Amino acid sequence: MAENSKNTKLLSVVLLVAGIAGLVIALYLDFTRSSAAFRGPLLVIGAIAALMGLYFYPTVEHHRSIINFIFLFPLLFAFAVTVIIPLILGIFYSFTDWNGIRLTSFVGFGNYVSMFKDPAFIWSILLTFLFVVFNMVLINIVGFLLALLCTSKMRGVNFFRASYFLPNLIGGIVLGYIWQFVFNNVLIQVTAKWGMVNSVLANTKTAFAAIIVVYVWQYAGYIMLIYVTGLTTVPKDVLEASSIDGADALTTLFRIKIPMIAATITICTFLTLTSAFKQFDVNMALTNGSGSVADFMGSYLTNGTQMIALNIYNTAITKNAYALGQAKAVFFFIVLACVSILQVRISNKKEVEM
Amino acid sequence: MKKKIVSTLLAAAMVLSLAACGGGSSDGGSSGGGSSSSDPNTIRLVNGKIEVDAQLKKLAEMYKEETGVTVEIESMGGGVDIQGTIKGYYQAGNMPDIFVNALEPEFANWKGLLADMSDEKWASDTDGAYINEDGTVGFPYSTEGIGLAYNTEILKKAGIDPTKLTGPAAIEEAFKTLDSKKGELGIDAVVGYCAEPKDLYWSTGQHLFANYLDAGLARDDTTYIDKLNDGGKLDEKRLTDFAKFVDMLNRYSDPALLVSGTYDQQILNFASGKYAFVTQGSWVGATMTTDDKDAYEAAGSFEVGMIPYAFEDGIDTILTNSPSWWSVYSEGNVDAAKAFLQWLSEDKAQKVLVEEAGFISPFKSCTYIAPDPFAKAMVDYISNEKTSSWHWLNMKEGYAMNYTGQVFADFAAGNLDVDGFVKTMQQVSEACYAN
Amino acid sequence: MRMKKSNKIIFTILGIIVAAYTLFPFYLVVLNTFKNANGIVSNPIGFGGVSFSQLMTNISSVVNNSNFNFWYAFGTSVIITILSLVLLALFGGMAAWVICRNKTKWSTVIYMVFIASMIIPFQVVMLPLISTFRDVGQFVGISMLQSIPGIVFAYCGFGGAMTVFILTGFIKGIPYELEEAAAIDGCSPEGTFFRIIFPLLTPVITTVTILNGMWIWNDYLLPSLMLGQNGKVKTLPVAVQAFVGSYVKQWDLILTAALLAIIPMIVIFLIAQKQIMNGMVEGAIK
Repeated sequence: MAENSKNTKLLSVVLLVAGIAGLVIALYLDFTRSSAAFRGPLLVIGAIAALMGLYFYPTVEHHRSIINFIFLFPLLFAFAVTVIIPLILGIFYSFTDWNGIRLTSFVGFGNYVSMFKDPAFIWSILLTFLFVVFNMVLINIVGFLLALLCTSKMRGVNFFRASYFLPNLIGGIVLGYIWQFVFNNVLIQVTAKWGMVNSVLANTKTAFAAIIVVYVWQYAGYIMLIYVTGLTTVPKDVLEASSIDGADALTTLFRIKIPMIAATITICTFLTLTSAFKQFDVNMALTNGSGSVADFMGSYLTNGTQMIALNIYNTAITKNAYALGQAKAVFFFIVLACVSILQVRISNKKEVEM
Repeated sequence: MKKKIVSTLLAAAMVLSLAACGGGSSDGGSSGGGSSSSDPNTIRLVNGKIEVDAQLKKLAEMYKEETGVTVEIESMGGGVDIQGTIKGYYQAGNMPDIFVNALEPEFANWKGLLADMSDEKWASDTDGAYINEDGTVGFPYSTEGIGLAYNTEILKKAGIDPTKLTGPAAIEEAFKTLDSKKGELGIDAVVGYCAEPKDLYWSTGQHLFANYLDAGLARDDTTYIDKLNDGGKLDEKRLTDFAKFVDMLNRYSDPALLVSGTYDQQILNFASGKYAFVTQGSWVGATMTTDDKDAYEAAGSFEVGMIPYAFEDGIDTILTNSPSWWSVYSEGNVDAAKAFLQWLSEDKAQKVLVEEAGFISPFKSCTYIAPDPFAKAMVDYISNEKTSSWHWLNMKEGYAMNYTGQVFADFAAGNLDVDGFVKTMQQVSEACYAN
Repeated sequence: MRMKKSNKIIFTILGIIVAAYTLFPFYLVVLNTFKNANGIVSNPIGFGGVSFSQLMTNISSVVNNSNFNFWYAFGTSVIITILSLVLLALFGGMAAWVICRNKTKWSTVIYMVFIASMIIPFQVVMLPLISTFRDVGQFVGISMLQSIPGIVFAYCGFGGAMTVFILTGFIKGIPYELEEAAAIDGCSPEGTFFRIIFPLLTPVITTVTILNGMWIWNDYLLPSLMLGQNGKVKTLPVAVQAFVGSYVKQWDLILTAALLAIIPMIVIFLIAQKQIMNGMVEGAIK
C-alpha cells in the first residue's frame, strides 16, 4: 500500500511538472509570437497532464475538492469562453466603433442614438412586437385546441399527435425553403385563378402573414404537447364530478380545465413569447426581410418583413457595421431580460396564490 | 486495485475526449516565412474555376514542354472558401505564386503583397486588367458582359435590325412591334425581366443598376460610382432616363416572371424561345448550353446577341469585365509567374482557353471564338472597343440586397411610378450610405 | 369523459383535416422529388411526371453536386452533433453533480450564473464570440473557427446552462444516503459519480440529449458564423442554405436536398417518438 501510494505520488508529480512545463512553454511561444505548429496541441496536452497530475495527487482531505474542480472545469471553461466573455466584450464593443476586428475609439452612446434614429430599425422593432403578439395568441389558441382534440377519446390519437408535432423537428432553414416552394410555386397556381399573379411573398403584408402561418405551423404542435401534459394532470374525479353535476363540455372547459392549467398557460405564453422574439431562420429563408413600406416616419423602407434578429444580423454581417449591430443586440438583450424577469415574477406570484 | 483501474480508464476517456476537443485542430498552425517554393522552375497556381481544371493542366503540360518550367495547378471550387484557404496558406508560409481574387475587399486583403504587372506585354492588349493603387494586380482570364440579350431569330422574323436599337425611342418602337406580333412569333412576352427582391436582387440592384453607373462611359470613367460612394448621391437626370427604361422593361416583361419569378424560369423561357429579350448577362450562355440544353436545342439553338442598355441616346457600350482575376504574389516566384501569365495571353494558350475552356478572351489580339452562344457578340464589342467597365463591385455592402433590390421590385409591382422610383432610389440610397 | 358517437366522428374528421394541413408540405416535398425540374414547375401538386428513376436521378445529382457536397456536410453534422451531445451529457452531469452536492457559496454562485445566462439571446454574444474565437485561436495556435473541435466547444458552452439546469433538478431528487453509503464502502467521489449517480441519470440525460440534439442538428446561425457561409467545413443546414441561397433556384435539387436533410430527423423521431415528445415537454416545464 505504501509503495503504491509512493508510485502514484511520483506519477502525480511527474504529470504536474510536465503539464505545467508544457503550459508555460506553450504560453511562452504564444507571447513571443512564435508560429510553431505544435504550440496549440502542447497547450492542450499540458492542461490535461496538469489536471491528471492533480487527480492522482495522493491526498485524502483535499481529494474531494480536486475532484470538484476537475468536474466543474470543462463545462465552466467552455461556458466562460463562449458566453460570459463575449457578453462582457459585446456590451463593451457597443460603445465603440468596433468593426469586427479592431476598434479605434469610444463613441459613448453614439451607436444607440443612431440606431433609434434609423426608421428601418424602429420598423423592425414594431414588426417584431406585432409578430410576437400574433404568434403568442395564435399558437396558444391553436395549440390548446389541438390539445383538446388530442385528449378527446378519438381514434388514432397517437398518430395525430405525432403528425402535429412533426413540423417542429425540421430546422428553420430547410423549412423556410419548403414553404417558399409552397407559396411561390403551389399556392400561386391557385391564386392565379383569382387574378393574383404574384406570390404572397411579393407583398409585404401577405409575406408577413405568411411568416406567421409558417411559424404557427411549426410551433403549435410543440405547444400542443405541453397543453396535453397539462390537461392530463387535471384530476379525473373532478371532471367526473362536474359531469355528474350536469355541466356541459364548454362549462367544464372554462370553469375547470382552463383554471386548473393556469400554470401551463403561463409557461406556454412565455415560451411562445421568447421564441417568437428570437425568430431568425424562417424569416431569413422565407423573405430575407424583403418587402417595402411606402412611408414610415417620413422615409421609404426596404426591409418590410425584417424582424429584429435578422436586422441585427444584416447590420453586422451584410453591411459590415459591427458596433451598430452589437448595440442593437444589447438592446435586444435588455428587452428579452425584462420579459424573462416578468415571467419569473408572474410565475412566482401564481405559485404563492395556489 | 480494480477501483484504480476503473478510475484510470475514466480519466483516460476524459483525456481522450478533451484531446478530441482541442488537439488535431491546428491546421492553421504555421512555420514562419512567407515565400513558397524556392525552386525557380516551379510555380503554383490556385484556380477558382474547378470546371476548367483539365484545360489548365493541359496548358501546364504544354508550358513545361516549351520552357521546362513546371506549373502546378491547384483547382478549388464547389463551395470552398478560396480566400480563407489562401489566407491559411499565407499564415502557413505556403503561398501559391498565382492565385485568384474577385471582389474589391479580396484585393484589399493583399494590399502590398501583389506584384504590379503594368509592364507586361499583355497589359496593353486588354481592357480587363484589375488595377488599384498597387498597380496592375489582376490578370483577366475571361470576360463576362452585361447587355440586353436578344434572340436573333425572333428579331429577324419581326423585321427588327438590332444594330438600329441605339436609343430608348428605337428600343421602345421595337418592343411595340414585338408586342403586337406576339402570337405570330410564338413568344410569351417581349422581354424576360425579373425584379424579385429576395433571390434576384443582384440582377436588378447590381447588374441592371450597373448600367446606370457605367453604360456609355469610358472604361476609366468613375463619375457615377464616385458620386454614389460620396454619401449615396444619384444623378437625377441620368437616373430618370434609366428609370424610364426600366419602366419600359416592366411594361413589356412577362407578368408571370416580373415580380416573383426565378432565374431558372427566366433563362429556361429565354432558351425555349419564349422571350425576345432577357435582362441577364453573358453568363446565361453557359446555363443555356448546360442546364437548359434540351429546351435550347428544341428551340433550334438560335443565335443570340446583345445590345447596349441604351437608356439615353448615345449609349453604345455594353459592360464587360473579368469575373475574377489571377494575381501574382509579390514574395513568390514573381518572374516565372509573370512569364507564365504572359504566355497564357498569347496565341497558343488562348486557343485552349477559348476553344476548350470556353472563356471569352479579354485580349484584343485573340482571334479565337468560344463555343458560347454569346461569344461572338461580346468579341465584336471588345474588338470595336465599345465596352465600358463595371463598378458595382465598389458599391456599399448590402446596397442592392438590403436596399435597392426592393425598390426595383416595388417599381415592377406598380407601387411606384417613374418619379416615385427616382425619388425612392435617392432616398433609400442616402439611407444606405448614412448607416 | 364520455362522448357521443357523432362527436367522436366530427373530432376525428377535424383531426384528419389538421393533420392533412401539417403534413401537406412534407407530402409536396416527397411528391416533387419524384419529378424533374419542368414537371415541378408546371405541375407541383399532381402526379404527372412522377417516376422512380427520376427520384434516383435527383438524389444522385444532389449527392454528387460538388457545390453541395452532401455526404461531407451530412457527416460533419453527425460528428458535430454526436460529439457535442456526448460531451454535454458527460461534462454537464459532472458539473451538475458538483453544484448540487457541494453546498458552498461558490457552487450557488455558479448555479445562479448558469440560470441567469439562459435569458441571453444568441445575437448579443455572436459577434464578439467570433472575434474572441479568432483571436484566441490565432494566439494559442489552435484554429477555433472553421474547425469541428471549435464548434463542439462552442456548443458545450451554449448548451451548458440548460443541461446543468435540468440535471441539477434531477440530481436533487436522488437520495444523498446512496452516496454516503458508497463513501463508507470506500468508494472515491469520482467512483461514486460514475458508478452510482451517472447510471441513475439515464432518463434525464435522454431528455437533455433530445433537447440539445434537436437544437444542434437544426442550428444554422452558429455554424454559419463560425464555419463560414460556404467554408471548408459545413453542417447540413449551412450547406442547404449555401446551395439553395445561391443564384440558381433548381427546385428539383432543392427539394431533394431538403428531403435528404429531414429524413434523418424523421427516422429518429419514428424510432423514439415517445421519448422525444416527452423530452420536449419536460424540457419546457422545468
